Amino acid sequence: MPPLIQMQNVGKTYQTGEVKVEALAGIDLEIQKNEYVAIMGPSGSGKSTLMNILGCLDMPSTGRYFLGNEDIRDLSDNQLSEIRSRKIGFVFQAFNLLPRVSALQNIALPLLYLGFSPKVREGMAAEALEHVGLGDRKQHKPNELSGGQRQRVAIARALVTRPDLILADEPTGNLDSKTGEEIMALIRDLHTQGNTVIMVTHESYIAAHAARIIRLKDGKIESDLYSNAR
Amino acid sequence: MSFSENIRLAFQSLRANPLRSILILVGMAVGIAAVLHVVVLGELTQKKINDRLQKMGSNVLRIRPGFSWRHGMRTGEKRVNLTWEDSDEIVSQSEAIIQTVPIYSGSGDVSFQDKNWSTQITGVTPAYQNVNNDYPAQGRFFNMQELSERARVAIVGATVYEKLFENKLALGKTIFIKSKPFLIIGILEAKGESWSNPDDQVFVPITTAQERIFGVDHLSSILAQMRSETDYDEALFDIESILRRNHRLSKEAKNDFRVRRQDFFLATIQATNQELARFITVIALVSLLVGGIGIANVMLISVTERIREIGIRRAIGARKFHILFQFLTESMMLGFFGGILGVGGGIVFNHFYIDAGGILPWSWIYYSFGICAGIGIFAGIYPAFRAANMNVIDALRHE
Ligand SMILES: Nc1ncnc2c1ncn2[C@@H]1O[C@H](COP(=O)(O)OP(=O)(O)O)[C@@H](O)[C@H]1O
Ligand SMILES: [Mg+2]
Repeated sequence: MPPLIQMQNVGKTYQTGEVKVEALAGIDLEIQKNEYVAIMGPSGSGKSTLMNILGCLDMPSTGRYFLGNEDIRDLSDNQLSEIRSRKIGFVFQAFNLLPRVSALQNIALPLLYLGFSPKVREGMAAEALEHVGLGDRKQHKPNELSGGQRQRVAIARALVTRPDLILADEPTGNLDSKTGEEIMALIRDLHTQGNTVIMVTHESYIAAHAARIIRLKDGKIESDLYSNAR
Repeated sequence: MSFSENIRLAFQSLRANPLRSILILVGMAVGIAAVLHVVVLGELTQKKINDRLQKMGSNVLRIRPGFSWRHGMRTGEKRVNLTWEDSDEIVSQSEAIIQTVPIYSGSGDVSFQDKNWSTQITGVTPAYQNVNNDYPAQGRFFNMQELSERARVAIVGATVYEKLFENKLALGKTIFIKSKPFLIIGILEAKGESWSNPDDQVFVPITTAQERIFGVDHLSSILAQMRSETDYDEALFDIESILRRNHRLSKEAKNDFRVRRQDFFLATIQATNQELARFITVIALVSLLVGGIGIANVMLISVTERIREIGIRRAIGARKFHILFQFLTESMMLGFFGGILGVGGGIVFNHFYIDAGGILPWSWIYYSFGICAGIGIFAGIYPAFRAANMNVIDALRHE
């Protein structure tokens, strides 16, 4: 079976005015289905850039990225959009929920763009909300929820399409450590239930949950270690 | 994503900023209300003109004395040269003319009890009512016998009736015309204003007017009814030759009379109205344009404010056209609701004209919605394109 993710010499250069920033410099990476990978590294080392490319939000400047069997370079904008809604669940540090919309509607949003009927959407969204332990908060707007609850809603949204890959960029970065622990437990459960999870984190104790830790520095992979604990 | 879901989504967004949405609707509404106003006014004047044309018939010519000239300049002096013989000979000698009405008209005071009114006193023959299609609403016109007897009978126009009698019983009452008593035998229907007010008149037998009231023996004008509209050229030729002969004009002399179609002034009114309608139309179009620019402006602001939302939607799978559609739907709805408001306003305004017969056509109500929604869509194109083509990552990062 081919790896779920395969990156070959992926580079990303940002140009701001005269200044060129090389955010990623030649990343080679393979990740299998059902892996649980933590990405660590100092601020500015290119973690988010890597996640965005993995999540098909951004395109590499150089190199090739295969998701499943597909070379991302060959896909149209519409196909990339579909991959984002169907195959990838993205959890952001800043939650990125729509503020005016209820928890349930937020979760149902990817299903909307996949063309599911309102009834089906509601059913699936309710199930996902149940899954993250917020079954009783369906009609709450994001500003009526705590930070931890918001991140749970965001995770439910990432889950709702049953994606091949769950990406989480510092999901606990905006949370206190206790709430962060709860969110980490939730993400670990997702992995145990058979999801492929890639997560960026600063905290080594959080990274310790993962079976594999990739360290980035200056846009390069500094180390890629499998923990023996699991 | 279905169209109705898109509408629901647009509703949600517009409700998030109700005041702004409403303000921008108003611009649109004023524009479309103005357009509807033009439509109603146009219909109304056309209807009025048609009514008048139908009543009067376009086959009546009015013959008046010509202008007086001195040293090549027109003077205000009135010429006195139309006679009963002119009138009689025109009808007897021209095949194209089937009826003439000699008219003498002058101004004078009329009074009833303590009320006094200065008006136009017009002497005609009984044929006048047939030629002008103008029959009394109450009572009757005078007959040939009263004409030959120079009877003191009068038919009052609607304005005079109102001024002297305040619309109370008038038939059989005696009024004084230039201090002489007259019996009221008829009251005419109101015809409404045109150039002059045709309702501000008292009709008497022309014999009475000439001999008992004004003491003259000439005419101030002659109405000539043609066999048909198409006889105009023939009728004009006949009238000219008869009058030139009767007035003994030499070959070089100018006509000392003027002939004009009765409906001529209606054409002038129509032209003036069209001018006015064109002017209002321009204003209406400008306000629609301003409404459209307003929508475009609001949509641009809205797109800028919602960059983050756009980023989130794109990140979780919205295609470009989903975003495009979302914003276009919003701007279309802005236009559409502006249309509803404007049509509502138009209908309210229309009530002022309904009595006069100016009724807003249904078709225009539908057009209005179409126009407004169209303007909304058009105004939304550029903002929606900007929204749809935003870089996903930049949009997500936007504070
Ligand atoms: N959109 C961008 N434009 C310009 N430079 C960028 C952009 N995004 C990231 N960078 C730069 O790329 C580098 C890596 O950024 P990032 O991937 O966000 O790092 P991390 O997530 O590890 O903190 C940084 O130097 C950052 O300034
Ligand atoms: Mg980062």
